[in-house]
Amino acid sequence: MRLGISLALLGLVAGALIGLRVPLVLPAAYAKYLSVAILAALDSVFGGIRAAMEDHFDNTVFLSGFFSNAILAGTLAFIGERLGVELYTAAVVAFGVRLFQNLAIIRRHLLKK
Amino acid sequence: MSRYLSITAVALVLGMMVVQQFRITGFRGAHGIPADRAQELTVELKQLEKERADLAAEAEDLEKKLAQAQMGYNQAAEALRTEIAKVRLLAGLEPVRGRGVVVVVVPRQGTGVFTVRDEDLLRIVNELRGAGAEALAINGQRLIATSEIRTSGAHINVNLIPIAPPYRILAIGNPEYMKNTLEIKGGVVETLREWGIDIAVFTRDDLTVPGYQGKTSFEYARTS
Repeated sequence: MRLGISLALLGLVAGALIGLRVPLVLPAAYAKYLSVAILAALDSVFGGIRAAMEDHFDNTVFLSGFFSNAILAGTLAFIGERLGVELYTAAVVAFGVRLFQNLAIIRRHLLKK
Repeated sequence: MSRYLSITAVALVLGMMVVQQFRITGFRGAHGIPADRAQELTVELKQLEKERADLAAEAEDLEKKLAQAQMGYNQAAEALRTEIAKVRLLAGLEPVRGRGVVVVVVPRQGTGVFTVRDEDLLRIVNELRGAGAEALAINGQRLIATSEIRTSGAHINVNLIPIAPPYRILAIGNPEYMKNTLEIKGGVVETLREWGIDIAVFTRDDLTVPGYQGKTSFEYARTS
């Protein structure tokens, strides 16, 4: 468990460093889609942590969930923009609710110990 | 093991995404330049650049026109100068030089009866004019359109200035023709000699006739 957390932090820091070093900065127009994708990714990560605590963590489900959720959320926001429907808000609300749910369950698991 | 690997990979990707998002929005915001403001300024800059290019083109156009006008002005000034020079030459205001004759008229000493009269000089001048003289002067007084040759007391006045013998008449024109005209049989030279006046005509290859020095404005005459 501890190894997992330290590895996750290490990966986060390494990713941040890589992200800072990359000379390319996406245009401001994509900030909206990327934000939804990040939200989806965070949701996946907390979902994974929760699954690990409930001892039914599946590597494939975790990985596929992470990437497909992020890409789907971004794509949906993009399509919503083109259609003139605020799918962006829907994604934010949906992922936000799930995020807080996951956090609440994780908190309970931590408190039970 | 693969579980940790996937966690690390996911964390890595998440970190990159978050930082990228920060770089897009957060950092720029921290510098106090919102994205839309930058866009606005870019549009404005583009517009101003276009305006500037337009104005530069206009300035160039006007510059060209000004240069043309200047050229036209210079040409006009040059034409006017040439015209003025021509008119001054015709009016006798400029000294002129060329081939011509000098007529020297001297009353014989001691014979006070046969002095040179204004009419004699007028006859000579008239003959010279008839022979095509282009510029005439008597004792340094240029003859112009308003010049008079007139006895006034003991002297003869030319251009209101009294002159005294010996009289030297300068004439620019065809020298041979003028000389022949004056010395023709029964002509003015022969007549004056009979009257006891010494008169001689010399041809000159280079003669300078002075310009008119008097007043050059009319008091009564106006252009009609």
